[in-house]
Amino acid sequence: MKNTMRPRRFVGLAIAAGLVVSVAACSSESGEDTSGSSGEQSLEVWTRSAAESAASYQMVFDAFTEKTGVEIDYQPVQEFDTQLQARASQKDLPDVLINDASSLGNYVAQGFVLPIDRESIEGEGDISDETWEQNVGLDGETYGIPWSRQANVTIIRKDWRENLGLEIPTNWEELASLGEAFATQDPDGNGQADTYGMVVPGSAKSGYIARWGNSYLWQAGAEILEADGDGYYTSAIDSPEAEEGMTYIRDLFCTPGVVVPGSVNLTTGETPFFGQGTAGIYLTGPYNISSFDTLLGAENVEVIPMPEGPESNTTFAEGENIYFGASSEKADLQKQLAEFLVTQEAQEIAMKVETNEAGVTSQPVVRLPVNENVDVAAVTGDDRWAIVAEDYANDSKTFPWNIDFNSFRQILADGMNAMVADCSSDIPAGLASIDEQFQAQLEAMDLVK
Amino acid sequence: MTSDTLTGTTAAGPARERSRSRAGRPPRRRRPTTWRSFIPWMFLAPGLLLGLIFKFYPMFEGFRMSTAKVQPFLGDIYVGLDNYTRVLGDERFRDALGHTIILGLTQTVGALVLGALLALLLEGQARRIWFVRTAVFLPVVTALAVVGELWRILYFPTESGFLNQVLGFLGIPPQEFLSDPSTALGYIAVVGIWTGAPYNMVIILAGLTGIDRSLYESAAIDGVSVKQRLRYIVLPALRPAISVVLTLAAIRSLRTFTEVYVLTGGGPAGSTEVWMTRVYSLGFQANDLGVASAASVLLLLATLGLTVLVRTLTTRKGKS
Amino acid sequence: MTLIPAKRRERPAAANTQFDSALGWRPGFTVSNVVRFVLCALAVTVFAVPFLTIISGAFDANADSTSLSVYPVSPSLEPMQVATEKGVWGYFANSLVIVGGGLVLQIAVSILAAYALARHRFRGQSIVLMLFLLTMMLPEEVIAVPLAQVIGDIPLLGLNLRGTPFGVILPVAVWGFSILLLTEFMKEIPDEIEEAARLDGVGELRMLWQIILPLCTPVIGVVTIFGFMMIWDQYLLPLIAADSPDDYTLTVALSILRVDAQVGTGVLLVGALLALLPSLIIYLLMQKSLIRGITSGATKG
Repeated sequence: MKNTMRPRRFVGLAIAAGLVVSVAACSSESGEDTSGSSGEQSLEVWTRSAAESAASYQMVFDAFTEKTGVEIDYQPVQEFDTQLQARASQKDLPDVLINDASSLGNYVAQGFVLPIDRESIEGEGDISDETWEQNVGLDGETYGIPWSRQANVTIIRKDWRENLGLEIPTNWEELASLGEAFATQDPDGNGQADTYGMVVPGSAKSGYIARWGNSYLWQAGAEILEADGDGYYTSAIDSPEAEEGMTYIRDLFCTPGVVVPGSVNLTTGETPFFGQGTAGIYLTGPYNISSFDTLLGAENVEVIPMPEGPESNTTFAEGENIYFGASSEKADLQKQLAEFLVTQEAQEIAMKVETNEAGVTSQPVVRLPVNENVDVAAVTGDDRWAIVAEDYANDSKTFPWNIDFNSFRQILADGMNAMVADCSSDIPAGLASIDEQFQAQLEAMDLVK
Repeated sequence: MTSDTLTGTTAAGPARERSRSRAGRPPRRRRPTTWRSFIPWMFLAPGLLLGLIFKFYPMFEGFRMSTAKVQPFLGDIYVGLDNYTRVLGDERFRDALGHTIILGLTQTVGALVLGALLALLLEGQARRIWFVRTAVFLPVVTALAVVGELWRILYFPTESGFLNQVLGFLGIPPQEFLSDPSTALGYIAVVGIWTGAPYNMVIILAGLTGIDRSLYESAAIDGVSVKQRLRYIVLPALRPAISVVLTLAAIRSLRTFTEVYVLTGGGPAGSTEVWMTRVYSLGFQANDLGVASAASVLLLLATLGLTVLVRTLTTRKGKS
Repeated sequence: MTLIPAKRRERPAAANTQFDSALGWRPGFTVSNVVRFVLCALAVTVFAVPFLTIISGAFDANADSTSLSVYPVSPSLEPMQVATEKGVWGYFANSLVIVGGGLVLQIAVSILAAYALARHRFRGQSIVLMLFLLTMMLPEEVIAVPLAQVIGDIPLLGLNLRGTPFGVILPVAVWGFSILLLTEFMKEIPDEIEEAARLDGVGELRMLWQIILPLCTPVIGVVTIFGFMMIWDQYLLPLIAADSPDDYTLTVALSILRVDAQVGTGVLLVGALLALLPSLIIYLLMQKSLIRGITSGATKG
């Protein structure tokens, strides 16, 4: 269909070229190549990926094309949501979107994605019921096929810990005192006080501090939103448990050196401290392990089982889903691709670290496989990934996916940022304020029973 | 803008006009022929046409979205002024407005004064000056994200931080800089002035360059001091430059965003939240384009008012 | 560069140079020149030293974003090599194409519009200028979606500019700043000059090209610098006008490098350095127009 547009486009270019004094020739080629995958047997697939993860996706799609002959017009997209809205306004969504599971509620509300008949997907039995149920929307339909899951893990500088002769922390107190030791006892032995305890993206921007800190809230036994079934929610943040969790988080910030100074304004992109050897504890996604290995040496990067909080050792889980674009007329091909992506073969390809011809080393896009037949530790050959898998399986929790949680995440993050910014802040009042804003937001979104 | 109000005066012929012509006034030339009145529009046509397609139409759409629940795929739903009530009812928007005004005023005044001083200091042809002028301009050409990164390092809030070491040398105790909610906004303004002053310097330099040198010469013959020269020759001649700087400040300061976004993202504790960071987190991140558009339209109206005010003031100043 | 000292030698005496600047700087070892030297040194320190850290980091194998160094601790071309592998030169080329076309068009459009606004009088004049200024007042995120639509399908013409440089070049052609700046400065040109030319029967285009423009060189220099930077720094527009990552500009690529955990600080700084060099070069070239030339006195009323 796009091919028919081309003569017109060239005429257009000719006219436009007349408008502009310089710069003409090189432009005409760049416009045509990407839409060029010919015929019906092709799918446009979008992911939110930088070059490294795009290389990983490309390996999977190449395998798919080889197997089925179906071409993949693969687009790694930056500013995913803006671009998606732009395409949506032209009623021309990509055929398949692989993106955050937490976008499910928003995509469903916006009508971007199609419901899926789980039973009709070949190989659906390889994915656990629990995983499938995460993808149920407010209306009870399933949207999106699970693709990858992950849980935040605590990563530690093993050499630093051993230099100081300290044990792996198993609870909150030990974790905090390890952080303090890293800050005060010169773990890298260079004679300078230039190290700190924890890396914390503490900015409220994009909800960073909430994504980092909610694990500790949950470990204290607190809840953020409570689902009362039937797609309704109530705010649960104003509780003594949340106060305990928040107090612990604030103490981390307010004990000099435990958290890298200035972290209250930083996002993950602005906190390269772990990889740079400035700080030694990082609660973060497991996809960072490979970059840290490169920078610090794998023998110095340690993944520990989540230290126990007062109530549990719950950790924050996230995931990616395969969504079917609502404007696509290629239902069979969409299904064919999704079925391939959840096979053991595809999942394992997407877990590999390989360097392609362009010299790009892939960053695995399947972190924890959704296919139960895949053994993480065996595929990665890395025991640390077994700990990731255990943390995920034993006690992990996600933000609600079936609603557009972003606005709640922002409110939570703003509140948490305010409480840690001031070491004498009134935590109960801060929680009460979050609670109030949650209520208002729930009402605005018609989520109150 | 006074030009329109003068359209009615037709009495003055070219000869008389000559004596009246003065800085800040367009020449008034009128011929009765109708096609002559077409000429300006032909010159404006390319700008207006491109503007219509790539600016005004999308802006019109922006206005429309501000009255809608925006759903690009399903189709927008008209909601009247709901988005506006949400914005105006949001307490944090009101806080943000206060911060925006404080930041805007501080940065505008700071960058204008510092920029003017730099321009006066660095005017001249010597090669050394040429080098200094280039060095001073570096903050303007550096990507703001990198500027943010640099200043975060400079502001590192321990004794080992760069600026804290400088302060320590002067006997001042270490500062928290951006981490302290009570000072963060001020330190953002410092960065804004740092990038804004060289920008203004260039515009003011262009103004200084345009001053007729014979005025200086005749003033020197009359024995006028440098101070008087600045007051009576330089300052009036800088009117267009200052008018441009202030108009730009009016347009930009209310929508200040990037400095804040890269330095603090609105934190700590919302103490540096400005209008646009609030629009960003409430609108774009929560995928509520309707609210974002409404807040942006309000911003546009305020900016428009401020711009008209500044233009009226700076134009009148030129007349007196 | 070699021309400058020669020119200076040609100058008759120091007596003249005091009319070169508003403060009447003149050469020689005077108190005011000592003060000026100190102030210049201070200005260079405050404004330029951070820039040294960018250069040093770009050529440092272990650049660290937590500490500043004005010289590379472990000098290396590695960041540059990694950046090359990441394809920064391709993005750089895209940026050049866009900025080249966009700037020429923008300056042309702005000069034409400013000429009408400054040297003609017509009904609705102030409204037109305000309309142009209005285009700077709405955040680009708000108009991103409709703009993407327009770029994908130009009304009436039905063109699709996506994936072509024109998708960026045409939208940046209208910039209120350039129009405002040129208008303000063109207004300052005394009427007498125009009158005289008119009596000689000079037409509109020649008037603009031969009479008005030569008197505007300082401000055209400024418009070039800032227009260049404005186009160079575009982020959202090249993104929505891109058809594939191959179309990205350096500014877009930089923001991607920034969130890429495998990319060290050094590589990011290489990108930053590459990103600022062209603007700096333009500034160096345009500085000439900011310096009083031989034409001094030409605008005499």
